[in-house]
Formats: sequence, C-alpha cells, structure tokens
Amino acid sequence: MKPPIHILSLLLLVAGCGDSDAASVPQEWVWDLPDTVPEPRVPEDNPMTVAKVELGRFLFYDTQLSANETQSCGSCHLQELAFTDGLAQAEGSTGQIHPRSSMSIANSGYAASLTWANAAVVRLENQALVPMFGEDPVELGMANMEDELLRRMRDDENYPAMFAAAFPDKMEPVNLDSITKAIAAFQRQVTSFGSKVDRWQQGDRTALTESEQRGMALFFGGTNAAGVEDAFECFHCHGGFLFSQSSDDAGQVFDQKFFMNNGLYNLDSDGSYPALNEGLFETTGELVDKGRFKPPSLRNIAVTEPYMHDGSIKTLEEVLDHYARGGRLIESGPNAGDGKDNPNPNKSALLNGFVMTEQEKQDLLAFLGALTDETLLDNPAYSDPFAK
Amino acid sequence: MKKLTILGVALALGSLGCDSSSGGAGSQAVTIQFAAKVSTDDFVCGDTYDNLGANDTSMQVSDFRFYVHDLELKNADGDYVAVAIDTEDTVWQLENVVLLDFEDGCTDLGNEPMNTVVTGTVPEGTYDGLRFKMGVPFEINHENPATAPPPMNLTSMQWNWQGGYKFLRIDSGTFSMTDWRMHLGSTGCDGDPVSGGTTACGSPNRVDVDLAAFDPAADTVVADFAALVDGSDLDVNQPETPVGCMAGPMDGDCGPLFENLGLAFGESPAVTQSFFSIE
Repeated sequence: MKPPIHILSLLLLVAGCGDSDAASVPQEWVWDLPDTVPEPRVPEDNPMTVAKVELGRFLFYDTQLSANETQSCGSCHLQELAFTDGLAQAEGSTGQIHPRSSMSIANSGYAASLTWANAAVVRLENQALVPMFGEDPVELGMANMEDELLRRMRDDENYPAMFAAAFPDKMEPVNLDSITKAIAAFQRQVTSFGSKVDRWQQGDRTALTESEQRGMALFFGGTNAAGVEDAFECFHCHGGFLFSQSSDDAGQVFDQKFFMNNGLYNLDSDGSYPALNEGLFETTGELVDKGRFKPPSLRNIAVTEPYMHDGSIKTLEEVLDHYARGGRLIESGPNAGDGKDNPNPNKSALLNGFVMTEQEKQDLLAFLGALTDETLLDNPAYSDPFAK
Repeated sequence: MKKLTILGVALALGSLGCDSSSGGAGSQAVTIQFAAKVSTDDFVCGDTYDNLGANDTSMQVSDFRFYVHDLELKNADGDYVAVAIDTEDTVWQLENVVLLDFEDGCTDLGNEPMNTVVTGTVPEGTYDGLRFKMGVPFEINHENPATAPPPMNLTSMQWNWQGGYKFLRIDSGTFSMTDWRMHLGSTGCDGDPVSGGTTACGSPNRVDVDLAAFDPAADTVVADFAALVDGSDLDVNQPETPVGCMAGPMDGDCGPLFENLGLAFGESPAVTQSFFSIE
C-alpha cells in the first residue's frame, strides 16, 4: 500500500510546482568559487537555498536578535572591515567588553573550528547560539528570551513569508532551529577568494607586483637575505587555500583544527596568558594548552586591524616585528614577561625569530595586502538589507 | 501556564501511581521527591540567606535548577534497578533525563513553572537506596539544542560555548556580572568538523550521587546550597574570573564547590559529594 501513496504524493508535488509561479520553486544553490578552491562542507540537514541565504542575511543584520534591540550580528562584523569591527575587543549589546577581538566571518564556512580557541564548536549552526544566548560574556543577550525572539519574528511584516520560503517543508517554519540554520547558510556563502593573490594562483602573471611576488616567496618558505631557508615559516600555520591550516571543506576527511601558542605572553613558569584570554586552556584545563589559539585565516588581513585574539598588536608591521623577535617582551605591568624566553613551555617550535631587512618587511606587507579581496567589502549579496 | 497545567497532570498521575500498584504487571509507580534548601531553610526564589561559605556571607539566591539522569533504586536483594522515567504528558522528563527546577521566575532568566519530582516505574518490590547522576547524559548533551524538546529547550540552561547544557545553575542577584553564579557543565569538549559532532569531553563534570537507606515512599532528596558553598570564600573572587564559578579550570573559586560536588579539580581528586543528602 505504501509505495503507491508515496508516488501519488510525489506526482501531486510535481503537479503543484508546475501550476504555481516560478518564485515558489526552491532555486538550486550554485557555488560561485574559483577552480583553486573547494566547496565548503554543508551539513546534510541544512542544504543551501537562495531563500534561506536571503533570510539569513536579514537575520544577520537585524537588531531584533538582541534583547535590547541595539545590536545585530553585523554590529561586530562590519562588511567594510572584512566583517570585523576595528576594535581590540568587541563590545556586546549591554556594553560588556568581550575578552576577544571580533573574527571575520568571511570564509567561516571553511573553519575547522569556530572562534579563537574552542575545540568544541565546529558548526556555524551551533556557533550562532553562543552570541545569541551566551551569558558570560553577554553579546546579544537573548538568554531565556527564545519565546520573545520568535514572537518578534512572527509579528514582523516580512519574516513569516521569508521563513516559509526558506523552510518550505516545515509546518511552523519560524523556530529557533530555522534561525540558526539560516544565519549559518548566509555565513557559509560569504566567501572571499577574489584577491590579487587568487588571480595570480589562477594563472594571471600580471596580478602581483614585483614586491608582492617577493613577499609571497618569503611567505612560502623562501630564503631570506641572511641566507636562511624558510626563515619566516609563515605558511606552516597560515598555509592552504584559506591561509590557515585549520581548515575544512566538503571533501576533507580529516579533523584539521589546531591551536598554537605564538609567544604573545609568558606570565609565569607555566607560560600563562592573561586571565580570561588563556586560549584552549580555558576549556581543557591542560597546562600545555595555555596560550594556544587558532591561527586565523590571513585573507583580508590588511583590513582587519588590530591583530591577535585580544587586539593587542595594532598594525601588521608590528605583527611582523613580533614574529621576527620570536615572541613578545612586555617589560612591566600586570602582563610583564618575555614570550620569547625559555622557559616558555608552550610556545610553538616554529617561532624561532628571524632577521628581516626593511625590504623584506615591505615585501611581506605588500604580499599580505594582496590578500585583500576588494569585492568582499562591498558585495551587495553580503550587505546590510536594513542600511539606509 | 501550559507547562504548569501539564505539571499538575504529571503530579496527579504520579501520586495516583504511588497509592495503587496499577502500573502494569510486575511493576509499580514511583515518585522521587526532591527539595532545594539552604541549610535548614527551604529555598525560596529571591530570598537572602545568611552564614554561607567560609566567611558567613549573606547572599540572595535567585536561580536553582539542575538536571539528573540514570536514577536507580536498590531493591531488597541489594541490587540497583533503573527507574524507567515517565515521558508521557510531562515537560520535565525526556528519555532518562529530568530537569528539577526550584526557581519561580523571580528573575528574568527564570520562569514560573517548577518541578520537584521524578516520576517513573520500577519492578514491584521494596526499595531502600538511591543513586543517580546530576547532569545530562553525553548522548543528549551534545544534540542540537535548537531542535531539542522540553526540558532541553531552555536557552538559560544551554551551555553553547561547550556544545552542551548547564547541569547545575544557581545564581544570586539579578544577572549582572558582579553577582555570584555557579554554572556547571562538561568542559574540555572536542568537536569533529568532519562529522559535526562532539567526540568527547576532558572534564565531563557529571556528579555521582549515592544515597544509601533512601526510602522513596518517605524520604526526600535534598540539594543544599549551604553544603555546596561550604568552605568557599563567597565574599572574595579570584581577580579576572567570573564572580562565582563557571566551571573554568583556571578559576580557583571553583575548587571548594567542585570538592563538595565530589568532582576532581586541578590537582584535587574526585571525592564523595556532599551537596545532596536525604531528609
């Protein structure tokens, strides 16, 4: 008995599609990516659709997602700053200062783990719950307000139809799961592979200047003026299509998330970092995890200052100086300590310091600047639909 | 209101079941009573209690919720048998997990309905001993909270930064960063970007509770806040850590609290918990 019913319902479905206008047919999602880049992993229970991404774009930029309706996701992830906020440390909707600096959401669909130092959060859908409902620190401040959030969505003049279009199989499409799935789908398609370096990698030998090419060679293990092979060791943590080794994609079969200590702090014999910013240690409690953070993608890095998990280095030039020294010296104050010195038990073995001429520094800066994808910064598909 | 109504039905069913042995051939209904106390006083949401911790601190307490699972009663042969949790007509019980909720919505992060019982069935017999775990079992803890049914769908009990739930939530004050709070959940969890799931947690932080000589017909399981904070310097907070304890391994303020829960913390090994007792 069952198969005929099944077939019948399928026939009805097909007939329904043919009879209705084209707008009601879910449009198949097509990734617009260069050949040099894999597709991101899409969870089976959250397939991409045009309607879902559009809903996600509205939700991402909607201040109704904060308790006091002052902030949206986009308040800390500004498109013109490659979806960062220019602050050393983010500020939540109630004014609480976050210990960490806002990360770019561009290419976040490829992150092996999300945020700076959290091995547990590996899906954008789950990550969205943290800023919405987290209590320490408060970001959007919606804890215990899930019913109010859904009421706002249902009372909105646009959302009910948008949720229905994005989740056509759901009897009640306005629910918390739809919200996290739509925001995740939006973020997953905020890809950024339109930099000059991408054009070079696709074969355009005019894409990079001489200086940018020299910087690229040094970045990828070239010998420096002092005669040291792979003096700068950049690509060991910041390699691959993402310019972060901590990457994932649709074809990846291995867990590639990883975390490194880059010698920013060294407060005591355990290599401690300042409180509230101790990296992976905050969740594992393992001393070896003190100061270990995810190497972020370097794409668009020139427009996302200040740098590091706590925004404690203002410019890219100073970042290069930090790596040249092989760890940061803080001479006085509560964070005094030498991140370079032994014993710094957790510092990455790749952070050995190097000699860098002024020309080499300028070449590396030029290369890092060539990782900026100008189209990301004003692509209307990623823009704020509420902007006046 | 809907939750309250459903709770009323569940309570009525529970007490009916206790009075008769009509739970089916060879089985009987059982109701395990829980209470939240602060020393000898009943917990009342929003009340202030004195003489807490190592320094006789006074503190207003405004939230008191925890999950329990894997409840077992000891039969006449001395064997522990699982309590089969009722899952019909209840918003408090799911599979083998139950949310016990002693706050009445006295702050914005709470809600009016409360739950003080676990209802289920056990094989017919007499019982004198109870053991259970405080927390959420691994299999449920790391499911998608955005689609979870009650009682796993309360965002105030979700612990999203570790991809799980707060097993225990006790707050003071009205939810400001200067108010003392205790949030316990699994930490050190590891996710797999390929499968999307959580593979394991370094510190599961589930509390083993073993209450010998517990008579389900007469006794109540008491969760005592004063016992939880015994020995804790409540009026002092380790600088630059959350006020109270968010289960962070770097937060020394968690030490005495974890010890009273019987959990290992830092160099301190697991011991027997003293938060729960029989009354």
